Amino acid sequence: MIELQAAVSGALNGSLFALMALGLSLAWGFLKVINLAHFALILLSGYLTFELATATGLGPIATIVVTAPLMFVVGAVIQLGYERFDVSELNSLLISYGLLIITVQVVTNIWTADFLRLPPEINPFSAEAVGVGSLRFPVPTLLAAGFAVVLVVAASLVLGRTYAGKALQAFGQDREIASAFGIDHRLLGVLLAGAAGASAAIAGMLFPIGGTLTPDLPFEWIGQVFAIVILGGIGNVTGTLYAGLLVGAISGLVAVVWTPSTSPFVVFSLVVIALVFRPKGLFPQKGG
Amino acid sequence: MLQVNDLDVYYGDAQALREVTITVGSGEVVSIVGSNGAGKSTLVNSIMGILRPRRGRIVLDDQDITRIPGHRVCRAGIAIVPEGRRLFSAMSVEGNLDLGAFNRAAREHYGDSLQWVHTLFPRLAERKDQLAGSLSGGEQQMLAVGRALMARPRLLLMDEPSLGLAPVVVDEVFEVIEAVRGEGVGVLLVEQNVQRALDVSSRAYLLAEGRMVMEGDAVGMANNPELRKSVLGI
Amino acid sequence: MRHKGWLALVGIAVALVTLPAIRHATDFPMFYLIFLSGILFWTAQSTSWNILSGYSGYFSFGQGAFFGVGVYTMAVLFGRQGMSWWVAALAAGIASMLLGLAIGTIAFRLRSLRGEIFALLTLAVPFILASVARLSKAIDGGQGIVIPVPEAPSFLSQFQEFVFFVGGVVALLALTVAYVMQHTRYGWALFTIRDDEDVAEGLGVPTFFHKMIAIGVTGLIAGISGAVAALQLGFVSVEGTFNLDVPLFVIVMSVLGGRGHWAGPMVGAIYVYTLQNRLASGGFEGWSLIVLGVILVLVMLLAPQGLMAGFRRRPWLSAGVFVVVFLGLWLLGVTTDPVTSLAAALGVTAVIAFIPGGRRRPELGEPETGPPQEHHAPVGDEPVAESVGSGRPLLVAQDVVKTFGGVRALRGVSMTVHEGELVGLVGPNGSGKTTLVNLISGVFPPTAGTISLDGADIVGSRPHRIAHLGIARTYQIPRPFTSLTVRDNVAMAIMFGRDPLGLDASRRAAVEYLDLVGLGGRADALPGEINLHQRQLLEMARAIATRPSLLLLDEALAGLNPVEIDNAVDVVRRIRGSGVSIVLVEHLLRVVNQLATRIVVLDQGMELAEGEPAVVMRDPAVVKAYLGRQADAAGE
Repeated sequence: MIELQAAVSGALNGSLFALMALGLSLAWGFLKVINLAHFALILLSGYLTFELATATGLGPIATIVVTAPLMFVVGAVIQLGYERFDVSELNSLLISYGLLIITVQVVTNIWTADFLRLPPEINPFSAEAVGVGSLRFPVPTLLAAGFAVVLVVAASLVLGRTYAGKALQAFGQDREIASAFGIDHRLLGVLLAGAAGASAAIAGMLFPIGGTLTPDLPFEWIGQVFAIVILGGIGNVTGTLYAGLLVGAISGLVAVVWTPSTSPFVVFSLVVIALVFRPKGLFPQKGG
Repeated sequence: MLQVNDLDVYYGDAQALREVTITVGSGEVVSIVGSNGAGKSTLVNSIMGILRPRRGRIVLDDQDITRIPGHRVCRAGIAIVPEGRRLFSAMSVEGNLDLGAFNRAAREHYGDSLQWVHTLFPRLAERKDQLAGSLSGGEQQMLAVGRALMARPRLLLMDEPSLGLAPVVVDEVFEVIEAVRGEGVGVLLVEQNVQRALDVSSRAYLLAEGRMVMEGDAVGMANNPELRKSVLGI
Repeated sequence: MRHKGWLALVGIAVALVTLPAIRHATDFPMFYLIFLSGILFWTAQSTSWNILSGYSGYFSFGQGAFFGVGVYTMAVLFGRQGMSWWVAALAAGIASMLLGLAIGTIAFRLRSLRGEIFALLTLAVPFILASVARLSKAIDGGQGIVIPVPEAPSFLSQFQEFVFFVGGVVALLALTVAYVMQHTRYGWALFTIRDDEDVAEGLGVPTFFHKMIAIGVTGLIAGISGAVAALQLGFVSVEGTFNLDVPLFVIVMSVLGGRGHWAGPMVGAIYVYTLQNRLASGGFEGWSLIVLGVILVLVMLLAPQGLMAGFRRRPWLSAGVFVVVFLGLWLLGVTTDPVTSLAAALGVTAVIAFIPGGRRRPELGEPETGPPQEHHAPVGDEPVAESVGSGRPLLVAQDVVKTFGGVRALRGVSMTVHEGELVGLVGPNGSGKTTLVNLISGVFPPTAGTISLDGADIVGSRPHRIAHLGIARTYQIPRPFTSLTVRDNVAMAIMFGRDPLGLDASRRAAVEYLDLVGLGGRADALPGEINLHQRQLLEMARAIATRPSLLLLDEALAGLNPVEIDNAVDVVRRIRGSGVSIVLVEHLLRVVNQLATRIVVLDQGMELAEGEPAVVMRDPAVVKAYLGRQADAAGE
């Protein structure tokens, strides 16, 4: 039974990583930008959530009202920067790496490298857990999974049902012809980057709820998040969620069946194998 | 309606179009013929705003559209049926048509436009949820035309519509051009298949090595032996 | 310039050997030796990183992996097992090199692996190694490893001197390897891979082999350097070894210093290390990563060539300003210690480097003087309209089919090119001409059918093999190596072609081919500085420099004005006169009719007609394909 618990808990944790991966994957797929600064936004949001929650005494979830619009703007501005300097895909990786380093250091300077944890008075979810049958799940984990599913469904709906979403898909498939029918790629790109930033804010909010904050977190995230992006298919919304659940479940299982340190190796091998046999991801969209 | 004057277009330092001048009147079908590399695609891209001309003007009715950004050309009244169709292949037939009407003015008349397109192309109505990438060549060409018509253009720009299609299908495509002309939409047809193009047009221009080397009414040009010499190189 | 480079290396070697002795004599503080040791370490690390990532363009975030393997091999073999330190250091280098080769075997074989994904994969490798090290008791087990002080040779009495000396040897090794690579075919192969890997492969460069050399060398040097660093540290732990510092610093140092030059990473190391040092001593440790991040972002956006490019444009001014500011501040006592003067001098000199203008220097190579070297290519001057040569079949393509997804681009085409012919391959848009050229040059294999050259089957061969067998091609849109001069583009083709010459000999022999196409006067220009027509001529010169028996010209006349077209026609005639058989893919039929001995007409993936131009172009089927329904026009 430990295996089942490990797998399901792992999958739920994986959904949080899928949430982080979503914005990154969409930007990479549609805007041809690999934005490591996305992790910087998640980190910043986490710390801002912490500050706002402790300063105002509001629940941590309520801080989204401030962080989401803020990160929307930041994401949009960064995208404008990439456009203005006509940054190539590879160079966007390097430049955003620089931005990430800067952010991590700034966070360390302001908040120190100490572990930060929201006190239970402010974080109502910290100690609670919910039982389903013989399995138990901490509430923060369920919360994260819930947000992930909601966001993925919302993104799917927007992409599939709204004019803006369809315009984005068209833009991703054939930039020139989309433009010929009136789709302003610059505006669209900035809006998408802003939305990715807002999703980063939501992901960031979930960390102080679920555990501790430290400035080095992004470097723990990068490996898994990119594994999810690649396995799910770059730009594939639902694929990202499935990949998150899969990677999470596998990581959890491996940690229990072998050792926790073997997980990264297994995931890495999965990614390499996927690149050889299924470079478009494990969950191809129909007609793609 | 469309007036292109003395257009000079460069790719970097190579001149692709030299002093090109053409006119298309309302409801007219005008052809641009010539072999590949002559500059036909360059002309299309310049009108659509993908390329910036170095000299010359492009005027649609009274509006100077020479330098407007690419995504505003559609709003100005020109829609394109691109070479090779270039449909959004992962979207449905309906989705492609929807996107044709993306610009605000067209969206207001969405219902009427859709009905018109379905009348012209009944097969598209039947297959509206099918993925565009899974249609046959001829159906894809119809969809590409339909998508452009959804934008309610004054001028339809068709780039090599016969490419890669069987002759019977090409017949259908050219019938559509007739129908469109009947509705008052002007058509600028760029075609490699000289005879077909001349059959359906009232006037034509022959482009060679970036220059306009011949122009006139379609019938006259079809009977002109110089035309054949220029295209075949002998 | 060559001699200046060697002088610099010798100078560094001399300084390394004598500095400890000087220190004994003058008794300057040990601090400066330690400072220089730090620079030497980072020089070795960033130079080794640059050999893979800078020279070949395969960006790696995983330098920490090589460093870590080096550190832990030394720690386990010397610190724990008690092997002698220099054997352990060598073993460390070899272990790290093997890691690099393993990564390369997986990564460089994957066709779908673009540069960005390679970079992301390398991001993961250090983390995995860290886990393995932390986990395994045989390696670290989470406790860390103590490393005792090694026994030093007698002339290096103090430990720090020993570290300085050994570190210096490693740095010198790194610099020498980078220097040698830059001036030989190994480095040049990497530069062309960086500029355009597909074109390089098509010119005969075995790309996989050279990338493996690059990653192997990187691993080797980084491993030895890491091993030596472990000696200095005395105690190693997983967190201290596999952290962010090494991967980040080598990237910033190389980007700042300049990734295209062997001395670039060293310059960057001097700058960054000095900066770090001054920030730390001023109490600003918290700012160092911020500053590094800002430097990375700004240099990538505004001056991606780095400092070396700027210094080479104004070498005397830069050196002069540096010396004046440094000595001035130090000797006049304006600053409290030499390192601060150094920092100030570096800062001022950097400003100079970033001012645009100055003497234009191509990144590689220098203007060559000396007589052109004969390369066994007789040049014919008379225009030849009939077949020359034996007329035996050279290239035979039989029933070739190519399908892409659901589209059949070629449906069973057969074509033979005889020695000495100039075959015109024509047809309306979408007929499959370029697909056929791509199949013959090996860009992708046919779905069915056979293609043979001189009787040997070439289906499935890698493009560089096909180039060595004797087929060369040009691209419709010219793809020159943008960081090499016109001359060096051609030299590349000679260096890796069928009759390879060394670097210098190739550069001299290149002139001959440039003269054949009429580009002799622009030999030292960069491709960005010449116009489209000249770039197309460069394509041709580069292709024939591989000494092919068959040349495929893919729409070599696109975008030219009438004068340029006539010139190009002359050049094609001259090329043919030199003994190369040609397949000419063209839309401009009047030109093809003049040049070709035979025409093959394709339409919708099938062969429509072939034969003499005058006959073929009157064939009713051909007329119909080009003009449309009416097969007979009035007046014929």
